[in-house]
Amino acid sequence: MILTGHEILREYAARRILIEPFDVDQLNPNSYNFRLGEQLNVYRQHPVDPRQPNPVTPIYIPKQGLVLRPHRLYLAHTLEAMGSDHYAPTFAARSSVARLGLFINLSASLGDIGFHGQWTLQLFAAQPLRIYRGMRIGQIMWWCPQGEIVLYDGKYQGSTGPCASRSFQDYTDDSEVAS
Amino acid sequence: MILTGPEIAREAAAGRITIKPFDTSDVEPNSYGFHLGPTLLTYDEPVLHPERRARRHTIILPTSGRTLLPERLYLGHTQEVIGSDHYAATLYACRSISTLGAWITFSAPLGHTGAIVAWTLEIRVAQPTLMYPGMRIGKVAFWRTRGTIERYRGRYEGSRTVVESRLSAEFVRHENGCDP
Repeated sequence: MILTGHEILREYAARRILIEPFDVDQLNPNSYNFRLGEQLNVYRQHPVDPRQPNPVTPIYIPKQGLVLRPHRLYLAHTLEAMGSDHYAPTFAARSSVARLGLFINLSASLGDIGFHGQWTLQLFAAQPLRIYRGMRIGQIMWWCPQGEIVLYDGKYQGSTGPCASRSFQDYTDDSEVAS
Repeated sequence: MILTGPEIAREAAAGRITIKPFDTSDVEPNSYGFHLGPTLLTYDEPVLHPERRARRHTIILPTSGRTLLPERLYLGHTQEVIGSDHYAATLYACRSISTLGAWITFSAPLGHTGAIVAWTLEIRVAQPTLMYPGMRIGKVAFWRTRGTIERYRGRYEGSRTVVESRLSAEFVRHENGCDP
C-alpha cells in the first residue's frame, strides 16, 4: 500500500517520516516533491571500476543554471534529507522533468527503510537540458511494509551531497566477497 | 505491501519465495541483493526486428572483469534463480551500481507471480564500466498481491541463464511478411 499525500503529512507530523526542510506545498496526491541540491559530481576517469575508488570532480550549479550534456552521468543530490524507520521509500522523476528527457535514477528507484540522508540522484539527459539548483526535480513515495523491520545500516547512511559509488568497500580485503 | 528483509528470509525458509543460492548476508531492509551471472549477450545487427530472433553473441565475463561500453545494449542475468508463487517481484539496480552509471533494467522492473527464473537484465552503461561475474548488481523486492493468483506460464518460464527477446513468437507469418 502506498501512502497518500495526506498520510505523508500526518506521518511527517508524527515524526515517523522525516523530510528536512519540509514544505506542505510540495505534497502530491501520493508523493512528496523534492528539490535539486547545488552540487554535482562527475567521474574523472574511465572506465569506472566497481572494485576501486573512482575519483570525481565537483561542479556547482550557478544561479543562472547549468546545461547538462546529453548521455553523460552527473551525480546530484536532493536538497532535503529524507528517510523513515517505518515505511519503504521509492523515488522517481516528476513527470514534467521526465518529459524533458531527464532520468534522475538509472533503474534504481528503491530505497531502504531506515536510510536517512540526502539522496544521491543519477542525472542522465536525453538531450541538452538546463537545470537549476532548488528546482523541484523528483518525488518520493512511501510504502507500507509487511514483516519485522530491521533498519538500514549500510555504507551510505547519513549521506550529504552527491555520493559516488562505494562498492569498492565490499572488495577491500576479502577476495571471497568479490567472487 | 512490500516485504521487509526479515519477511523475505522467513518466506524463503518456508518455501514461499525461491532465491537460490540464498545468503543471509544479502538480505536488505526491504529487498534481497542479487549478483551478476557470468554470461552476457549482445546483439549483432544494426537494426533489430521484433518479428525475428536477432543474431547475437555471448560474452563470458572473465574474473578479471570486462569493460562494457556505452551506446550498446548488453543482456545479462541474475546468478540466482528468483521468484515466488505467492508474491509479485520488482527488480532494481543497487545504489552502488547505479551511481557508477549503469542500468540493469529498461523500464521493465516487474516480475510476475509464478516466474521462478534467473532474471534477464538489460544492462547499459553511461560511460565505460568494468563488470565482474558474481558482483552485487541489483536488488529484488517482493509485494503482497490481492486477488486470485494466475501463475506465470510465459515463454521465459524455466530460464536459467540470459535469454534474448522472443517477441517474434507473437508474430504471425504469411507469404507477404508477418503481422503483430
